[in-house]
Amino acid sequence: MSENILVIGGGPAGLNAAIMLSELGVNVALVERDSFLGGNPKKFKYKFLFPDMQPADNVIGELIKKAESGGNIKVYYSSEVSDFKENGKKFDAVIKSASGSETKTFDSVIVATGFEHFDPARDAKYSYQLFDDVIDIKDLERMMGENNFVRPSNGKPPKKVAFILCVGSRDRHVGNQYCSRVCCTVSVKQAIEMREHFPDCEAYIFYMDIRTYGFFEDLYWKAMEEHDVQIVKGRIAEITSGPDNTVVCKGEDTLLRGPFEIPFDMVVLASGMEGGPQSPEISSKLGIELDEHGFLKPENVTLSPFKSNKPGVFLAGACTGPKAISDSITEGAAAAMNAYTYAVKNR
Amino acid sequence: MALEKHDNKNLGGGRPVAEKGEHIVARHLIEDDNIKEEKNLVIDGVDVSGRWNTFIISRVNSDFDRSFFEEIKKTVVGSRINRCWQCGMCTASCTVTPLYRRFNPRAFIYMMQLGNLKELKKYIDVAWRCVGCYKCSQRCPKQVNPAEMMEALALVIKKYFQEEVKTKLKLDEEVKKIYEDMIIGHGRLDLAKLHTSAMQKSGKTKELFGKIERGAILKMLKDGRAFSVLRLGKPHNWSSSKEAIENYLHKLNTIENSEAGV
Repeated sequence: MSENILVIGGGPAGLNAAIMLSELGVNVALVERDSFLGGNPKKFKYKFLFPDMQPADNVIGELIKKAESGGNIKVYYSSEVSDFKENGKKFDAVIKSASGSETKTFDSVIVATGFEHFDPARDAKYSYQLFDDVIDIKDLERMMGENNFVRPSNGKPPKKVAFILCVGSRDRHVGNQYCSRVCCTVSVKQAIEMREHFPDCEAYIFYMDIRTYGFFEDLYWKAMEEHDVQIVKGRIAEITSGPDNTVVCKGEDTLLRGPFEIPFDMVVLASGMEGGPQSPEISSKLGIELDEHGFLKPENVTLSPFKSNKPGVFLAGACTGPKAISDSITEGAAAAMNAYTYAVKNR
Repeated sequence: MALEKHDNKNLGGGRPVAEKGEHIVARHLIEDDNIKEEKNLVIDGVDVSGRWNTFIISRVNSDFDRSFFEEIKKTVVGSRINRCWQCGMCTASCTVTPLYRRFNPRAFIYMMQLGNLKELKKYIDVAWRCVGCYKCSQRCPKQVNPAEMMEALALVIKKYFQEEVKTKLKLDEEVKKIYEDMIIGHGRLDLAKLHTSAMQKSGKTKELFGKIERGAILKMLKDGRAFSVLRLGKPHNWSSSKEAIENYLHKLNTIENSEAGV
């Protein structure tokens, strides 16, 4: 008799976990809340991935194809775990979907519920949704993906674009003290893409620190040295409307001291990552711990970042904190191995 | 509206005119250049001289001028301006900054990147003081070559602030002329002469005969350095070397002028 393992969430982490388990001969139930697989990268149509600018489809598309090509994976679309109970060392879960509810017993569980993009509208200083030309990184990613990079206000190509880092991150005012880790690299990547396709458009990045960690630094150097992206130190305190249908970024140049109010055609907010409403929901449903940042809490952040505090329930991907896609995929594999070991031990 | 400006003597002994911005309570907080005030101004026949027409220009920087950056990038010495990320290693290693705190290569590069001429203008008197030790270029983690960037800065200053260079750098230009004449004329540098001429030019004639200077002169007379130039004469075959140098200077001038677009 083969093992039954439940994977919650069909993003990069959940998909990779499901695929690995399926290859081990495990019966996987993959529960996805959307009507499609791929998670946030698919939902917001990420086009190219850092650091090597490969098409997102190479990664996400590949994972989806593998998961959907049958094997031992049963995908439940537009569904959720509506009830969850421990049953000895095993777990009874009710999977609710449009076609009804299904109760099943699983040997172990992998939670890969991911993150939500911070909604910049929650922070009034950025005037997101107030001005059409203020967008955020996921909006820009979608625009680039649809080959429709124009100013939303008038449909014309912009000539001067500002990227603002740390939107919804490292800001006690919005309740998020942590760094979202990838927004710097994503913004730098987008600035490069923009300069490559629209060389007439100037790119400025307003930063407090540029955290393109590890080899992502290469992208940051490339942006400056090959694409003349200008970095300006200072966080933006206010976005207002300016003359000639511009948006004005108000900030302090902390290197020269002194205020600036610079008009731009378009402003891109590097909104960070949040645990989203799904994290507390899954935390209370499964009885696993939530951390002070609103993400799921690993049992030991260094020794076992893929384990929850409840034996048999494992964590993978951005549900435990901001993460790059590659890290999520790695964690998916790590959680799969651990979930499999747990299932085999308690057969 | 009839706007009428006239100088003091035409006012015909009207009421006393205040100093520029004198009446502003927190005057010390505002830079001179940011106060706009006409000493004598008559609008529609009404005298609004002095404080009646005062304006304070905002300190807020309201645009980045990227055309300027492009201009610097095209020069040979400034081609790496896009690399600078403002870590401050150049200023930290600078041999001049400890003497002139206002000489800050890091900040100058930033001003050039953002085209902030307004700010750059404040540093015309010190911006050219790089001694070319190249320590910054050795230390720079991004190989910006700040030492040569300072040459790009000199070009900028020459092009955009001709008036200020004429007035603020008058003395330096004069001493430079003496130096050049010395080299081209005699093929040798006479430090004693350069020193005394520079002091004379800067109006320090009194100090020239002070105790320190007298001692130095005596010492140089004693050990023969004062006569060395006379005794040694011009270097061998100087006329051809002189021609080469003059040729080079001429070329350099044309390059500089074309780079600065003068």
